[in-house]
Amino acid sequence: MSGWHVDEGLLADYDRGTLPPSRVLAVDTHLLACASCREQVRVDPVWLTGNWSVVFDALHEPRSGPLHRFLRRLGLPEHRIRLIAATPALRWSWLGATATVLALAVAAAYLGRGGMQVSNAVLLVVAPVLPVLAVATAYGPPADPMHEITDTTPAAGPALVLWRATTVVTVAVVMGVVAAVLLPGPGWYAVAWLLPALLLSVGTLALSTVIALPAAAGVLGGIWLAGVGTAVTIHRDSSLPLVFGRTAQLGYLFAAMTAVVVLTVRRRRLDPGETR
Amino acid sequence: MERPVDESSGDAELLGAVAAGRADALRLLHQRHAPWLRARLRRRCADADVVDIAVQDTFVAIWKDAHRYEATGADAAAWIWTIAARRLVSALRGPAHRWLGGVAEPLPDVATAPSAEELVLLGIEHGDLGAAIDRLSPELRVLIQATAIDGLTVRESAKLLGIAEGTAKTRLLRARARLRELLT
Repeated sequence: MSGWHVDEGLLADYDRGTLPPSRVLAVDTHLLACASCREQVRVDPVWLTGNWSVVFDALHEPRSGPLHRFLRRLGLPEHRIRLIAATPALRWSWLGATATVLALAVAAAYLGRGGMQVSNAVLLVVAPVLPVLAVATAYGPPADPMHEITDTTPAAGPALVLWRATTVVTVAVVMGVVAAVLLPGPGWYAVAWLLPALLLSVGTLALSTVIALPAAAGVLGGIWLAGVGTAVTIHRDSSLPLVFGRTAQLGYLFAAMTAVVVLTVRRRRLDPGETR
Repeated sequence: MERPVDESSGDAELLGAVAAGRADALRLLHQRHAPWLRARLRRRCADADVVDIAVQDTFVAIWKDAHRYEATGADAAAWIWTIAARRLVSALRGPAHRWLGGVAEPLPDVATAPSAEELVLLGIEHGDLGAAIDRLSPELRVLIQATAIDGLTVRESAKLLGIAEGTAKTRLLRARARLRELLT
């Protein structure tokens, strides 16, 4: 270099912003080129340590998994992603259970050649209950060992229950659709169970403003299984189009909307999975 | 096979160790480079918090991209500065409350060899150029600073200065024309 170096006074003026512009540019370019002048720049050691600790934390932050990245792609805010993706220990139990039930239903449909109608009916009857079971068992006292701690956080309450319910229902519905598509039989079977499933899930949440969540799930799921299950078993050929027919589907839709209204009105009484 | 690093190690050696995943080497780089990076970035952004975030992001980016330094073979300080200037632009652009190191876009491959303008500016403390720079109006001067000194593209400079890209292009042309005028 030209033998010219940045001295202490110049550096202090540079830091204060009192240098004329051309001198600022000169210091800028010189700092880039001269290692000894770079070392002249002094900072508060406290600042240096604090700044480093943030960098250090960032280096050791757990890497975000594929699920995390996918949810971020969907545009969910970061704290919701944490909430949804943070309970891997709980995920596998109900994921495994749902997958097993659906796989058995589909396998039965292919294996039982003579009784094809029976197996189709089994899937259609059981599938709507699966999201409800998922909602009831994925979180809350029996399944979640952290529920007491969760309930003391500001995040607890109806919003938390609804976010978690939405998460498990989404997964359960996706798995149900996959199983239904694999099913032999008329194409509309693949979607026929969706509205009953919606009704049962929302209905369970609505009912849980009155009684505990697992009890609500048990009551509604039991009614569905007992009622529809019996009807389908006794009058197999005539009742299946009736239960999943056009009129019935409209009825499910209206009932589900009613349940949404009830849920909205009574949302403050939603059972957060803990007796009060 | 891993050679120990200490204060006397060169920047290139330290970057090599960082590429091998050694946090102590990054710490040494941080101690050596964070102070002057902060000083320079503060001349470009009045918000001390944003500058701090930019410095932090710079070292996180170095941690992830140190293996790319070998390929460019440029001067380590210039390479680090290129990252820092771009991190400042993204820190200014990003939302106020984001997670550190959250969505870091990959670094563009840029040549960090000194440009002709930089070589001229190294001699800025002598001669007419300094006087000409002083007489340039501030909004033209900041563009010369962002493009010639900081090595940003016109688009990045526009983001840093909070003006439209077209405006930045026009001003840069005017600034060069004015400088030529003042120097002749």
